[in-house]
Amino acid sequence: MSYPIKGEHLHKHFKKQVVLDDVSLTLQEGEIYGLIGPSGSGKTTLVRILLGLEKADSGKIELFERRPTLNAFRSLGYMAQSDALYNELSAYQNLEFFASIQGMHGKEKKQRILEVAKAVDLDQHLQKNVSNFSGGMKRRLSLAAALVHSPRLYLLDEPTVGLDPVIRRKLWTLFHYLKGKGATIIVTTHVMDEVAQCDRVGLLSTGRIIAEGAPKALTAQYGVSTVEDIFIAIEKEADGN
Amino acid sequence: MRNLFAMARRIIRQIVRDRRTLALLIIAPLLILTLVWYIFGAKTAEPKLAIIHYESSDYLSAFKKDDYQRMSALQARQALADKEIDAYIDLKNPVSVHLEGSDPSRNGLVMNKVQQSMQKIQQINVTSMKNQLTDVIKAEQKGMMVQQQTIRQMTEAMQRYAPGALAQIMQQAPKTSQPEEPKTPEKVSLDVSYLHGNDDLNTFDAFGPAMVGIFVFLFIFMIGGVSFLRERTTGTLDRLMASPIKNYQIIGGYMIGFGLFVIVQSFVLTCYIAYVLNIYNVGNLLDVLIIVFILSFSALSLSILLSTFASNELQMFQFIPLVIVPQVFLSGLFPIDTLPGWVRAVGNLMPIHYSTEALRNIMIRGTGFSGWWFDAAILILFSVVFMIINIFAIRRSRPVTD
Ligand SMILES: Nc1ncnc2c1ncn2[C@@H]1O[C@H](COP(=O)(O)OP(=O)(O)OP(=O)(O)O)[C@@H](O)[C@H]1O
Ligand SMILES: [Mg+2]
Repeated sequence: MSYPIKGEHLHKHFKKQVVLDDVSLTLQEGEIYGLIGPSGSGKTTLVRILLGLEKADSGKIELFERRPTLNAFRSLGYMAQSDALYNELSAYQNLEFFASIQGMHGKEKKQRILEVAKAVDLDQHLQKNVSNFSGGMKRRLSLAAALVHSPRLYLLDEPTVGLDPVIRRKLWTLFHYLKGKGATIIVTTHVMDEVAQCDRVGLLSTGRIIAEGAPKALTAQYGVSTVEDIFIAIEKEADGN
Repeated sequence: MRNLFAMARRIIRQIVRDRRTLALLIIAPLLILTLVWYIFGAKTAEPKLAIIHYESSDYLSAFKKDDYQRMSALQARQALADKEIDAYIDLKNPVSVHLEGSDPSRNGLVMNKVQQSMQKIQQINVTSMKNQLTDVIKAEQKGMMVQQQTIRQMTEAMQRYAPGALAQIMQQAPKTSQPEEPKTPEKVSLDVSYLHGNDDLNTFDAFGPAMVGIFVFLFIFMIGGVSFLRERTTGTLDRLMASPIKNYQIIGGYMIGFGLFVIVQSFVLTCYIAYVLNIYNVGNLLDVLIIVFILSFSALSLSILLSTFASNELQMFQFIPLVIVPQVFLSGLFPIDTLPGWVRAVGNLMPIHYSTEALRNIMIRGTGFSGWWFDAAILILFSVVFMIINIFAIRRSRPVTD
C-alpha cells in the first residue's frame, strides 16, 4: 500500500491565531477521504499546506512518498474553494489552458477536454464565456479543470457547494468512478450525506483532528446516529472531563 | 517552452476577448496624447490690450491700433473688470500698466507685449533726444560761425596794423584739427540660430518625448498590474502554483503575451505622434519605436512586481500616485538641475527619466544609436531586475517546492 499524500505533525498559525495544531494525516491509495469540520476550523488551510501552497510552521509533507517537487504536481488535481477561472475566456479556452500547462497537447488534449466537459455536464456550454456562467456552472468548470489532466490524486475543497442535488449526485458518481480507476481523493465538505459516501473521514475541530475513521465505524464508536453528532458527543466528553 | 507559450497564448486571448482592456491599452494613450497636444501645442493666444490717455501722447505710434484698442479711462476700467481686456496702459507720463492679473500665464503674455512697445517708446525718446541735440548743435555752430567771422575781421585788422604780433600768435596757437564726421552706427540686429530644433518648436514638441513615456508607462502599468493581480485574487495563481509550471514560465508568459500588444501599441503610438500629431522629430522613427517598446516592458515588469504587494484593484491603483506622479515631475518635463541631490538621485531611479532622455536625443537632437543606447540599456536593466525579483516573489506563493 502506498501513500499518495502524507502530512506529519503540521502546525500553522496566522498571527496569534493557531489554525493547525499538530495535525497528522495520511491518505491511502484509492480512497475517498472526507475532511469535515465547522467553518473556520482549518480545512482549507490544511489542504493548501498539503499542496505546498502554504508553508507550515513545522511538520513534514510527502507527496507520493517523496518531498514535493514540481513534477509531482503533474499527478495532482486541485480545486480551490473559489472558482479560480479566467472570466474573459470561454469554458473551452479555460480547460485548454489548464490542460496545456499540465503538459497535454494535440488531439489527446482536445478529446480529454470534451470528455471532462461531458462528465460535469458542460459539453453544451463550452463556447460560452465564463463570465456568463451561473455559479453552479463555474463550480463544475472549476472541477473539470482539476480533472482535465487525469491526475492520480485529487484535492477538492468543497467541490459541491452551491450545486443542486441532481448534479451533486452526479458528481459523486464521478468521484466513485475516479476512485474505481485508482485515484485518491481528499474532499472537504459540509454536507452530511456526502460524508457517508467517503471511505474515511477526518473530523477537524479547532485545529486538531479529533476523530478519524470510516463513517460507520465512527458513529458506532461514539454511539450516535450521524457523523455530525460526533462533534457534539466529543464536546460533551470534553466538558465531562 | 510549451508552458511559456500556453501562458502567453492565454494572455493574448484574454486581452483580445476583453475589448475594453484592448481599447485602454491601444486607443486611450492616443486620445490623451491628442488632448495634451492641443493644450501644449496650441499657438499662444494674443493678449487683449487697450491704451488710455493717448490723445496727446508722443508715444502713440508705439502702440499699433491692431494690438491696442483705444479707450477712455472709464471704458478701460470697466473692460478690465469684465475681463474683456487683459490690461490697459495709461500713456500719461509716467506710463503705467494696469493688469487684470488673475492668470499668471496671461500676465506674462501681457508684459511681453508691453515690453515690446516700451522698446519702441525708448526709440521714440532717443530719436526726439537726438533731434533736440541736433538743434542745439546747429545753434552753436551758428554762434561759432559768427565768432569766426569776427576773428577773421580781427585778423585782417591786425595784419594791417601789427603783422609781427599776429605771426607770433599764429605760431603759439595750438593746431586745431578738423573733427571727423561722426560715423552713423551700424544697425544692430540679432541673428538667432538653433543647435537643435527651430523656433517653430512648440511646448508640446519639447514635452512630447516625456509625455509619450508617461502615458505609455501609465496604461501598461495599470493593465499589467491589474491582470496579474486578478490572477492572485481569483485564485488562478494558486491553480498555476499547483501545476508543474515553473515560476519563470509564468512571468515569461506574461512578458510575451503582453509584449505582443505592447509592440502593437508602440507601433500605433509612434506612427500617431509622428504622422498625425506631426510632433517635431528629426530622428529615426524606428529608434523611437524601440525606446517606447523597451519602456513598456519596464512598466509591465514593475506593475507585476507591485501587484504582489496589493490585495485588490484599489490598492493597485493606489500605487499610481506613488509610482507615476514622481516620474511625471522628475522625468525631465521640468528642469531638475537645481533640485537637491537626493531628489535627483530618486529621479535617476525612474524608468521614464531614461526614456525621456533617449527620446529627446532621438526626436529633437536627431542622434542615432550612440545617443540612446545607454538609456535603452538602463531601461532593459530595469526590466530584467524587476523580472528577476518577480520570479522570486512568486516563490513565496509556492514555498514548499523549489
Ligand atoms: N491568509 C490568512 N491570514 C490570516 N488568517 C487566515 C488566513 N487563511 C486562513 N486564516 C484563518 O484560519 C482559519 C481557518 O481558515 P480556513 O479557510 O482553513 O477554514 P475552513 O475550515 O476552510 O473554513 P470554511 O469551511 O469556511 O471554508 C480561519 O479562522 C481564518 O480566519
Ligand atoms: Mg475552506
